[in-house]
Amino acid sequence: MSRTNDVYILAAKQISVQPPLTDEWMDAPVRYDAPCARAIDPDYRQHFAPNVARRLGKILKRAMLTSRQAMAASGVANPDAVVTATGLGCIENTELFLDALVREGEELLKPTCFMHSTHNAIGSLIAIDARCHGYNSTCVHKGISFECALDDAFAQLGSNRIQTALVGAHDEMTPSYFALLKRTGYLGHAPNGFSGEVALSMMLATTPGDSALCRLRGVELEYNPDAETLQKTLGRMLQSAQCSLEEVDAVMTGVSGLPSNDRVYASICPELLPNKKQLRYKHLFGESYTAPGLGVYAAAVCLCRQRIPAHLFVGGQSGEQRGVRHILCYNHFEGKNHSLILLSACGK
Amino acid sequence: MPTRVAVTGAGIVSALGAGREATLTALRERRTGIAPVRYLKTSHTEFPVGEVKLSNEEMEHMLRIPEPQATTRTMLMGVAAVREALEQACVRRGSGLRVALISGTTVGGMDKSEQYYLDFLENDTKNAYIATHDCGACTEMIADYFGIFSRVQTISTACSSAANAIMLGAMLVEEGRADVVVAGGSECLTKFHLNGFNTLMILDRHLCRPFDAHRAGLNLGEGAAYLVLEAEDTLGRRGVEPLCRISGYANTCDAYHQTASSPGGEGAYLSMAKALEVAQLAPKDISYINAHGTGTENNDLSEGRAIQRLFCNGVPPVSSTKSFTGHATSAAGGVEAVISMLALQHSFIPANLNFATPMPELSFTPDAGSDRPAPLRHVLSNSFGFGGNDTSLIFSKV
Repeated sequence: MSRTNDVYILAAKQISVQPPLTDEWMDAPVRYDAPCARAIDPDYRQHFAPNVARRLGKILKRAMLTSRQAMAASGVANPDAVVTATGLGCIENTELFLDALVREGEELLKPTCFMHSTHNAIGSLIAIDARCHGYNSTCVHKGISFECALDDAFAQLGSNRIQTALVGAHDEMTPSYFALLKRTGYLGHAPNGFSGEVALSMMLATTPGDSALCRLRGVELEYNPDAETLQKTLGRMLQSAQCSLEEVDAVMTGVSGLPSNDRVYASICPELLPNKKQLRYKHLFGESYTAPGLGVYAAAVCLCRQRIPAHLFVGGQSGEQRGVRHILCYNHFEGKNHSLILLSACGK
Repeated sequence: MPTRVAVTGAGIVSALGAGREATLTALRERRTGIAPVRYLKTSHTEFPVGEVKLSNEEMEHMLRIPEPQATTRTMLMGVAAVREALEQACVRRGSGLRVALISGTTVGGMDKSEQYYLDFLENDTKNAYIATHDCGACTEMIADYFGIFSRVQTISTACSSAANAIMLGAMLVEEGRADVVVAGGSECLTKFHLNGFNTLMILDRHLCRPFDAHRAGLNLGEGAAYLVLEAEDTLGRRGVEPLCRISGYANTCDAYHQTASSPGGEGAYLSMAKALEVAQLAPKDISYINAHGTGTENNDLSEGRAIQRLFCNGVPPVSSTKSFTGHATSAAGGVEAVISMLALQHSFIPANLNFATPMPELSFTPDAGSDRPAPLRHVLSNSFGFGGNDTSLIFSKV
C-alpha cells in the first residue's frame, strides 16, 4: 500500500513541568535543579465537575484535559483514532493496589485502583469522554512508546485508513517509583538531568485546516541498528519526504545531561548527522519514558512560529534562529531503541 | 488490491500444554486445562485457573536460559511460543529479512514485582527485577533471546492486547514496513490481576460457563501465543507455505465504561462489522466464531447481542475456548488466533465446554463441538478488553 496522504499536526497541548497548556517555555522556561519534578497542574476544578476531578488520578485528569484542548484547538471533536503512548501507565494506581496487596493481603482490596491501573485506562477514558468509537490502541514500550504511537497513526493516516488521529504521550512519576528507577540508573542524577512528567495530546490529520503547526513527514523505528542500518533508514525517510539532509535546519535530540544517555548521541550524531545543529528539550521538560513526545511538540512549535529560541541549542547559542523549514527528531533509549522523525514547516 | 497477509508460523503455550500439537489434542479430546491453583502463590485457592503446567525453573531449563539472567514468567512463556512460531516459519538468524516483534502484555513483569516489592523499596538485592517490571522490558527480553528482530514494540490494551498486536502486524506487512512480523502476546497469572478481577466480582468459583444462562464469571488463565505474518506474494522467495491468511481485522471502542461492556455491545458489533468490511466478506461467509466469551454476565450478553445483531438469523457456530484455556487476558487474542488457525487447518469446531442452559436473551446457543469434520473457510475471532477495547480478526483458508 503506497502512501497517499500528507499528514499534519493540527494542535498539541501539554501538561508538564513547564507552565500547563501554553507554549510559555519558548520565552520564559521554568528551570529545575532538583532530581525529580512533578508536573505543574492547572486548576482542574475549572475544567471538570468536582466528582470527576476527585475520582480520577492525576495521569487520567491530565490526559483528559490535554485531549479536550487539542480537540478544541484543532476543531476535530471526534477523531477517527485515539493512539496513546505510556511507558509505565497509571503507575500511581498500580502502586496503590500493589502496596495494599503486599502489605494487607488479598482480602481487603478495593476495585477502583485496579480499574484505573491498566495502561489503556488512559486511551479508554479519552474515548469515553469524547465518544470515539474508532481505533483505540496503547503503545507501551519504554523510551520509544511515543514514537510507536506516532508511527501507528502516521501509517494509518498516510494509507487513508483514517483521516484524523489523537496521539497522546502520558507518564506520571511517583516518589516511590522515582526511587526505584534511581536504583536502576535511569533517573535522578542531578545535576545530570532530572525526572519529569508528561501529558501531551496531539491532533494529526490528513488536511491542514486553518492553523496546522507543521507537517509530519516520516517516522522510523529501529531496534539495535548498526551505523549502516541507521544511515540507510535515515536516507529512506528523507528520500520519501523528498528532503535532503542539507535542508534540515536542526536535529532535536534527547540529550539530558545523563552521561550514559548523552554518550550515545555523541557517538552517533557526528557520523549520521554531520555538521547539524543539535537541539534539546529534556533540560526543560525532564526525563520520562514518553518525553520524546515533548521533543516533537517543541519542534512543532518552533516550526509553526518560525523561530528556535537560543536556550534549545545544545551548547548554547547567542540568539534565537529565525526561519525554520525542517527539524529532524532523533531519539534513542538506552542505545537499543532508535527513532527518527521528520517535521517540516507547513507549505515547505 | 491490497497485499495479502499470510500466516506462516504459530507458537503457543497455554493451560492446554506447550505447543500446537498439545493444544490440538486437548481441543479435540475436549480436555480443559483449567484446574485448582498450583503454581501461583495466592490465598485465593477457591478460584480454578488455567495455568501453564510448568514452573519457571522448568521453562528456564527447557529454553536453556543462562543461570544469572533475571527472567519473568511472561518472558519465559513468550520465548517458548515465539520459538515454536519461528521454527515453523523457518525464520532464522542472518536471513537478511526485516523481522519485527510486536507483543501484547499488560501484566509484564508484575509477577516478580509483587514478589519482591518490599525488597525494591528497602534494599538493592532485587534491582534486576525493577528493570524487568515494565511491559516493554518483557518484549525486549523475548526479542534478545533470538537476536533477529530489527523492530520491537509492545501493545497494551488489556484483554485485546495480543489481537491488537496481530492487527498492527498485519498492517505493517501490508504496507511493506517489515518483511516478517511475529505478533501475539504473553501474560502470566499474577496475584495483582487475580485480586483485581476478584474485586470486580467477575471470577467463577466453578469452571466457567460461557454463554450459559447460569454463568457466574470467568476463570483466569495464562499463556503466550504468536503468529508469523508475511506478504503472501513473497512466500515463494522464502520457500514456505501459508497456513492460513489474515483477511480482515478491526479495532473499535465501545466508549461506554472502563471495565464493563455496553448492554447492546456497540463496540463488539462495530469491530465485527468493520473486520468483515476490511475482508470484503458478508456475515454469511463466516463459518465459525471463536467468541471472546469470558463467561461473565456482562460480556456474554453484550457480545451475544452484537453477534445476533450482525448475523441476524444466520448465526454460524459460536464457541468460547476460554472454557479450555481460561482467560489468558493480554495473551488471549494470540491463544485464540492459534486455536482459530488450528480449527481452519484441521476442519473442526472447538467445543464450548460446560454449557447447559440457553441464555433467554439470545437466539443462538454455543456449539458443543462434534467429531464430524467441519470444513471451515473463514473464522472470526473476537478479543475484547477493558475500556471497551474491541478487536475482531478474520482468518481464512488459503
